[in-house]
Amino acid sequence: MQVADHKPKSLKNVSVNLRDLTILIADSGPFMRRVVYSMLRGFGANRILEAGDAAGVLSALMQQKIDILILDAKLPPQDGLAVTQAIRRNTDNENRTLPILIMTSDAHQSTVKDARDAGANMVVVKPMSPTTLYDRLVWIAFDRRQFIDCPTYFGPDRRFKIEGYPTGVGRRASDKTIEVAEATEPNLEQDDIDSLFQAARAGQSE
Amino acid sequence: MSAKTPPNVRIFAVKTRFQELAQRPGGVPRDIAIQQAETGIEVHKADFVDWAEHELQELSRALRSVVAGQADKVRIDEIYDRCRQLRDTGTTMGLPLLTFVADNLCRVLEAVQNGAPYDAEVVECHIDALFLAKRHTYRNIHPDQVPEMTSGLHRMLERANRSIPGRSD
Repeated sequence: MQVADHKPKSLKNVSVNLRDLTILIADSGPFMRRVVYSMLRGFGANRILEAGDAAGVLSALMQQKIDILILDAKLPPQDGLAVTQAIRRNTDNENRTLPILIMTSDAHQSTVKDARDAGANMVVVKPMSPTTLYDRLVWIAFDRRQFIDCPTYFGPDRRFKIEGYPTGVGRRASDKTIEVAEATEPNLEQDDIDSLFQAARAGQSE
Repeated sequence: MSAKTPPNVRIFAVKTRFQELAQRPGGVPRDIAIQQAETGIEVHKADFVDWAEHELQELSRALRSVVAGQADKVRIDEIYDRCRQLRDTGTTMGLPLLTFVADNLCRVLEAVQNGAPYDAEVVECHIDALFLAKRHTYRNIHPDQVPEMTSGLHRMLERANRSIPGRSD
């Protein structure tokens, strides 16, 4: 199966439609859940569930189809990464490929790596702004990464190139889009390339 | 991607329901969505001060019990969890200084969890700073605007980190 290539060239100004998607927020902090809930409502989501611990997450997943899980990395009693691994590694679980956005309070590279290795789709650092959360949701919505299933890992392909988040977050202000013109001449033959290098080497030796 | 895939590795494409439905036309335009979210958060800002006050009172209570000689992992974890929640929400609710102080205290407590000795005065000093950061006059004050406070708290954190057993630096 091949995923259709719907990813727009630029995700700037791209919107996501969250209506009728079931979103589960999992965080032990009631105020944090309330904040994320308000953000999602503002984005147009109308089916939002909440869980305060890992048991709540697993219970929600068994009871209904969840479309995306927004999960705290320190969700008790173990942590959100253990929950992510449990979801990904359970072969009988129809939610195995569920998009998982990990919220973490620390931006250490090791934390991001651990989240990636657990099978998370994306990480967002708390405290977060509506813009940051929105950009991560857009990113996941248009992410075309394949899934990897091997004895030690199940989840989105960890080998992917960060080209900056949608809408330019994380890019330098001076970065510009590069326009590449159409080729007007045929590619060089290998003999032509060799002769060019020979000429260059000869020039160096003189 | 390499041409050969090992036999015990399966690589497959997934298009989730989230992706299918999120890409539908008709969503709230990005700018409006973010603006609506910010408006939604604004409503909670008044509640946040009351909630933060309650959390700080609970932090003080937990601290008193530790000072009274009942220091144990459960109490430290309770202080840490409450502090973490303040850290996670402070900046979003317009109190970046509260997030800074709470973050510093979380790191001090992480040092304690890693074996550094528990110093009640350091924790108490942070809780005093949290009460200060919560005050209306400190709303929207960023850490770099109060360098005396931030450098003092940083020094406490550095001291805690240096006292972790086995730490070389």
